[in-house]
Amino acid sequence: MDDTLAGLLAVEAEAMRRLEGATAAAAIEALEREVLGNASALAEARRGLRALPEGARREAGRAINEIAARLAERLAERRFLVAAAEEASRLDAERLDITLPGRGVRPGAAHLVMQVLEEVTDVFVALGYTVADGPEVETAFYNFDALNTPPTHPARLESDTLYVVHGPDPEGVLLRTQTSPVQARYMEQHPPPVYIVSPGRVFRRDTTDATHTPVFHQMEGLAVDAGVTFADLKGTLAHFAREFFGPGQRVRFVPHFFPFTEPSAEMLTSCFSCEGGGCRVCGGSGWIELLGCGMVDPNVFEAVGYDPASVSGFAFGVGVDRLAMIRYGVPELRFFFDPDLRVLEQYR
Amino acid sequence: MISLRWLREFAALPDDADEVARALSALGHEVEGVRRVVAPFSGVVVARVVEVRPHPRADKLRLARLDTGAGEQEVVCGAWNFEAGAIVPLSTVGAVLAGGLEVGEREIRGVVSRGMICSAAELGLAEESAGILVLDEGYPIGADFASCLAFPDALFEVTVTPNRPDAMSIFGLARDLAARFGVALRAPEGEEGPTGAPTTGRAVVEDPERCPRFTAREVRGLTVGPSPLWMQLRLRHAGVRPINNVVDVTNYVMLELGQPIHAFDLDLIPAETLVVRRALPEETLTTLDGVERRLDPEDLLIASPGGPLALAGVMGGESSEVRPQTSRVFLEVAHFAAAGILLSGKRHGLRSEAGARFERGVDPALPPLASARAARLMADLAGGEVAGGFIDLYPAPIEPWVVPLPRREPGRLLGVELGARRITGLLTRLGFRVTGGDPWQVTVPTYRPDVTRAADLVEEIARLHGYDEFPSRLPKGVGEGLPVEEQRRRRLRRALVAAGCFEVLSFSFQGSDEVEALGLPEGDRRRVPVRVRNPLSEEQAFLRTSLLPGLLGALRANAARGRGDAALFEMGRVFFPAAGELPEQPSRLAFAAAGRRAEARWEGEAPERDAHDAVGLWEALAASLGVDYQLEQVVAAPFHPGRGGRVLVEGKAVGVVGELHPAVAARFGLTTRVAAGDFDLDALLAPAGIRSFAVPSPYPPAVFDLAFDLAEEVPAASLLEAVRGAAGPWLERLELFDLFRGGPLGEGRKSLAVRLTFRHPQRTLTDEDLVPVRARITDGVGASVGGRLRGG
Repeated sequence: MDDTLAGLLAVEAEAMRRLEGATAAAAIEALEREVLGNASALAEARRGLRALPEGARREAGRAINEIAARLAERLAERRFLVAAAEEASRLDAERLDITLPGRGVRPGAAHLVMQVLEEVTDVFVALGYTVADGPEVETAFYNFDALNTPPTHPARLESDTLYVVHGPDPEGVLLRTQTSPVQARYMEQHPPPVYIVSPGRVFRRDTTDATHTPVFHQMEGLAVDAGVTFADLKGTLAHFAREFFGPGQRVRFVPHFFPFTEPSAEMLTSCFSCEGGGCRVCGGSGWIELLGCGMVDPNVFEAVGYDPASVSGFAFGVGVDRLAMIRYGVPELRFFFDPDLRVLEQYR
Repeated sequence: MISLRWLREFAALPDDADEVARALSALGHEVEGVRRVVAPFSGVVVARVVEVRPHPRADKLRLARLDTGAGEQEVVCGAWNFEAGAIVPLSTVGAVLAGGLEVGEREIRGVVSRGMICSAAELGLAEESAGILVLDEGYPIGADFASCLAFPDALFEVTVTPNRPDAMSIFGLARDLAARFGVALRAPEGEEGPTGAPTTGRAVVEDPERCPRFTAREVRGLTVGPSPLWMQLRLRHAGVRPINNVVDVTNYVMLELGQPIHAFDLDLIPAETLVVRRALPEETLTTLDGVERRLDPEDLLIASPGGPLALAGVMGGESSEVRPQTSRVFLEVAHFAAAGILLSGKRHGLRSEAGARFERGVDPALPPLASARAARLMADLAGGEVAGGFIDLYPAPIEPWVVPLPRREPGRLLGVELGARRITGLLTRLGFRVTGGDPWQVTVPTYRPDVTRAADLVEEIARLHGYDEFPSRLPKGVGEGLPVEEQRRRRLRRALVAAGCFEVLSFSFQGSDEVEALGLPEGDRRRVPVRVRNPLSEEQAFLRTSLLPGLLGALRANAARGRGDAALFEMGRVFFPAAGELPEQPSRLAFAAAGRRAEARWEGEAPERDAHDAVGLWEALAASLGVDYQLEQVVAAPFHPGRGGRVLVEGKAVGVVGELHPAVAARFGLTTRVAAGDFDLDALLAPAGIRSFAVPSPYPPAVFDLAFDLAEEVPAASLLEAVRGAAGPWLERLELFDLFRGGPLGEGRKSLAVRLTFRHPQRTLTDEDLVPVRARITDGVGASVGGRLRGG
């Protein structure tokens, strides 16, 4: 048996030597079959153990098992190394230029004015307002009369307002000049309290230039409840300015005039560009006119059947395009109606 | 432009222009800008010529000895329009003249001249001048000439809101500012002074409704000439061109008090009689701007028995204009009703300073004061006499009115209790008289036509108290939040953006050619648009009936800039004539995409878009809304007759997708195929039911493919429907994975192959389960669309 063991040790040494040079998984498999398989010297030696006496059998068996374990361990180790090397070389062959442009649909963009419109809407929805919609072609009654605009008001002139041919009265139906008629329509349909915003298209008879387009966008807001005051107006609109422009935004209110509010105000906001120091954007004043607002005129309440002695409210109107221009530094209103992809791509 | 110095003549306001500008803005008079003006010269003093003598060595020059207040000095002078005794501006050595010329000591033909007598042009006070500037008596000798001319000054560019006619004057703004600063207001000078014999002029008002008050006054013995420098400068700073001492006085008093005044040459008024009446048909008038105007019977005129003289309250006429030889003028100072003036001005496209004031409402109490002020100034400056016999036709005087103000009203609207003392104090400072208990009885002066209700008084209280002084509160509303329709609109927008589309905004107008270009059949409602009665241009003469023309124009504009690969969409209203109160104005969603499906790629060019891309975009929209739909082949203009599909949601048609008719695309200047969709947005936004959750089966799937030989005209959708209908409840997925024509198939045939995935909710499906299913499908497809199983 000693001879056999010596032979096995020689086989082990030879296998170890050959394993050193093995670089292919297949060669390792073959070697494994050769040294550990059924026809191997090791298997032959195991089969010969039965003929040995009890004591020698145990000893020889242990020696054979040790050799087999060493070989198996070494084979596994080598197999792992070869597999790792093979994977490494395969991956290396798969190397590509990751800086090439990616695959898939490149998104387009929502229009900037619509993005701003959604954002402003959300500021007020978060304050408990809902959204009300109304017709773009509107009656002169809702656009003017119900909003306390006198019959001789210049805004009604054909030079300022686009009228459409509908019905017998040539000045009866028009393209709304403000989103405010929605307030009147909404109040007619709903009893107080009312907290609404109504964003949408408005129209003026303006030729397109840097600061005018015949179509633009406005958002009207209205809060009517028992005990709504000028202080509520100030707080709400100041909140809006901070939400939209940033927490540091300062606002000022100065008296103004609108037929449908009394008292009326204009809200100015500190110039985002110079932060109040005075620059070209704000005309040197440090302040930018942002929106018109005021306490709802009692005549408007009466026109919709509300009692001006028991409810009060405030309304405001803000130019959505103007907000977008101010925040993003768009120099001319006409860009918003320009379908040039070089413009639209910037809205991503 | 509003002069700070002029304002300060009426109230002791701060000298600091910025402080006054802030106060104006806080009062609601928006200050667009502040311009500081300084004299265009320095170092010029007022001097009297003591003696003039010839220059010893030059015939064209003289030597003038002047009293400068601080001594005498002699200068060389080339002008001959003055003699000893004249008061003149003298620039001394070191003075700087207009244009930056510095005056030094000069020797002229052997005589040393230390300074020079200046012309108006040299001082920058006129464009050109002949001779030196000879001043009136009254300029103190030795005084700094710049300060005599009211330099320096600050000019405010103020925008007055339309409800505040009272603020369209120096005095009116001073009144508001005095209230703001709590200082006394000085009344304007309104004494006519000594008067002469009564006027021979007469006036008749035939339309007292349009002209509630008419005054006239004669000033005679005038010598028309330039007005004094200080007045010319004030007018110039206010933006008014000086003309002569008569016209300048009317403008000056208008700027100061806000009351327009017109001066007629009394000698040019037939019968010396002014008649205020409506224009007669066919009457014409040549206004001061030289334009002959055909008058409208709604126009109010100042006429004489001989015909029209002036368009009342808007502009005078040429025939009675003040001339260089005018010596008697008839001053018309009237009150006209605002509305008529506004319409007259608009009718004739005439903007004037007078019209701008009358159309807002001038104080009816103002004419006597303004007339006296103007007459006195005119007589003083043009050397004349104010005639007696002031004419004041005011049959129904407009009295101050009383507005009740409940004591709780200011607090209810403003959100803070200011206290009775503060409230009455503020109103009193503004010229209101407050009496009574509760409510207060507030008497409103006639110069505030905008104040007629309690809310108007509350605004006055807030305005003077200062808007910035009020607290801020943030109330919470009780609205229902973002409506479902708005949520769905946003989903649609996001879906198209994610699919690579850009949102565009088009005007809501269209021209008649755009409607034509869509090639719509007779009877299509989109061919009958709503007409704009006063459009800006032919291209905007109608309201749009479709969003497609806007999108196609946008595609063309991009193609022209080398960006032919583009996918655009818009959501917006279109308009149709309707019988009701308003035209019908449904909302639509449309998209249009042309060119390649993606930008240039390193893997090779992406394919050109076609109808299937349009279907893909609709699929993205449907997925974003979570709706099921049917698509059926349709012939619908302006789509390609063989490449259009109608989309149905819950059996209702909601739009069309496909490719535009190539002729339509061509008419819009597009040469590629255009994938497009046009949908009823209102229908898409309508709230949909909530989908219930289905628990996925944990068991393994059974998958097999079937290919069918079908007639070409059988729509894929019909095959899928037939398969789905026959497949039974275990069908989990159905995918169409292959389409081919030709080969073993006959002419007019095609092969569609589907992959079916089945799964049972409670167990593993076996072959025995699926054999009958497969047979059912094969039979069903054969029966409903005539498809034969291939290779089966």
